[in-house]
Amino acid sequence: MFLFLQTTLNGLVLGGLYSLAAVGFSLIFGVLGIVNLTHGIFVVAGAFGALVLYNEFGLDPLLAMLPVGIVLFAVGYIYQRTVIHWAISRASLVASLVVTFGVAMIGRNLMQLTFGPDAHSITPSYSFSSLTFGPLQIDVVRVVALGASLVLLLLLALVLAKTHFGRAVRATAQQPLAAELSGLNVQRLHGLTFGISAALAGASGAIIGIVQPFTPASEVAWTLNAFIVVVLGGIGSPAGALVGGILLGLINAYTAQYIGPSLTQAAMFLVLVLMLLLRPNGLLGNAFGESR
Amino acid sequence: MTSTGTPAEASDNSLLRVEGLSYDYAGMGAVEDCTLDIPRGGIAALIGGNGAGKSTSVKMIAGALRPRSGRVSFDGHDITGMPAHQIVDRGLALVPEGRLVFQHLSVHENLLLAGHVARARTACKQNIERVFDLFPRLRERRQQNAGSLSGGEQQMLAIGRGLMTMPRLLILDEPSLGLSPILVGSIFSLVKRLNEDGISVLLVEQNVHQTLAIADYAYVLEKGRIVQQGEGRRLLDDPKVKEAYLGLA
Ligand SMILES: Nc1ncnc2c1ncn2[C@@H]1O[C@H](COP(=O)(O)OP(=O)(O)OP(=O)(O)O)[C@@H](O)[C@H]1O
Ligand SMILES: [Mg+2]
Repeated sequence: MFLFLQTTLNGLVLGGLYSLAAVGFSLIFGVLGIVNLTHGIFVVAGAFGALVLYNEFGLDPLLAMLPVGIVLFAVGYIYQRTVIHWAISRASLVASLVVTFGVAMIGRNLMQLTFGPDAHSITPSYSFSSLTFGPLQIDVVRVVALGASLVLLLLLALVLAKTHFGRAVRATAQQPLAAELSGLNVQRLHGLTFGISAALAGASGAIIGIVQPFTPASEVAWTLNAFIVVVLGGIGSPAGALVGGILLGLINAYTAQYIGPSLTQAAMFLVLVLMLLLRPNGLLGNAFGESR
Repeated sequence: MTSTGTPAEASDNSLLRVEGLSYDYAGMGAVEDCTLDIPRGGIAALIGGNGAGKSTSVKMIAGALRPRSGRVSFDGHDITGMPAHQIVDRGLALVPEGRLVFQHLSVHENLLLAGHVARARTACKQNIERVFDLFPRLRERRQQNAGSLSGGEQQMLAIGRGLMTMPRLLILDEPSLGLSPILVGSIFSLVKRLNEDGISVLLVEQNVHQTLAIADYAYVLEKGRIVQQGEGRRLLDDPKVKEAYLGLA
């Protein structure tokens, strides 16, 4: 029983991280209709950003989420307004698959050149302290990581639901022509959506760096995770990302504990296939409607 | 208020001037050399059969499509090639064909969004009340998702959304499409009422009889070209128009 609870707890924490890491991927897919294969780069770049800030300036990775997020926001915005926009306007949405895949390879190689292929991790002073609840034990880092993920997801949900910007993003996702005719600068909104998505991915990377080791090549896994989270939870909403992320976290934790750590990938794909067969729109469906 | 002048006489009073506008879809000509002159304060109409190029023309005017050639000027300023969201902010609103309401936003959110354009932002609250006064049914359904409205209600919302931007020129692309005869009638009286309130209107329609009855001036589009134009009532009596669009030989 304790083992089960402990496993569940680990799965939840992992799930929170998966959610935050994936929410931007989900948003981009919902609003622009693009499968952004560069997404994992944003996550890993965030981790390396936090690593550099910690090693050079001793900045706490949790505080590093802010500068890392700001830089990645700018990167994401410019990336959409230039490369992505050119690819889509010259060819088609499908071209964005090829282009984002190519940019991801370039990004990975650049990081390998800069940081080498080895695994890194960020180890602030508190990274080995843990809390105990009776027989249950959990690292402080993991509690903080889960908390930060939930706060950021909630913040995003509030912005999308309550602000003019959020309404504009939702309207643009549903009906770009009418959005433009209603006075919204759709191109700019697409850029901002990319910026926010990259910023959240980078912020998640800063936390992931404390919890797990990472290498430049981890970007592939993070893009894949984001994809699975969207398939499980549904497109476009923080709530969907949370549901999908938690589910993925639990599946990983239970499989590793009860079946075998080498089978987590297999279990993930099994669930993925089942999901595509049974509920192809994810548990929470598409937050922006069935327009795509 | 209503102008009866022909475009030639009214040119200094012109609000929208379209010269030689052309558009191709992937090499297929859709509109060829379209020239219109819409005076301030009146109701102008653009009529023509399916695929004549009406929607393409008004999309170019509103900035949603970039013309291959030609010029659009609004209120004396060249707006050719300007993005649609900037054109709206100058007071030219297009209510697109098929309504295109934001299905998963509430009625209220649909209106709020359009009311946020710079030219109308400070008056947003009053404008919403005005739209609700005009369409009491929308007030009842303000918290409902737009996608759950009936076709007629969605058309009201689409028009309301256009009005939220406080347009000087309102272009309506087939507002009566798919509506019951009673609703069609109320759309036409609404157009007249908006016009009396000082909004110039360009009405795109296939409901030729009712359109020509309220239009000061009308253009007939066929296969992408303007083939005829004149005062609404005069076109109503024109034998060619009668034969082609009114089903009268
Ligand atoms: N997106 C598009 N791609 C290719 N061709 C198009 C597209 N939209 C319209 N066309 C073509 O351009 C021509 C003009 O179309 P348009 O929609 O402007 O006509 P319309 O007068 O508005 O017709 P309707 O009354 O049926 O709405 C038609 O031949 C149509 O098939
Ligand atoms: Mg049309």
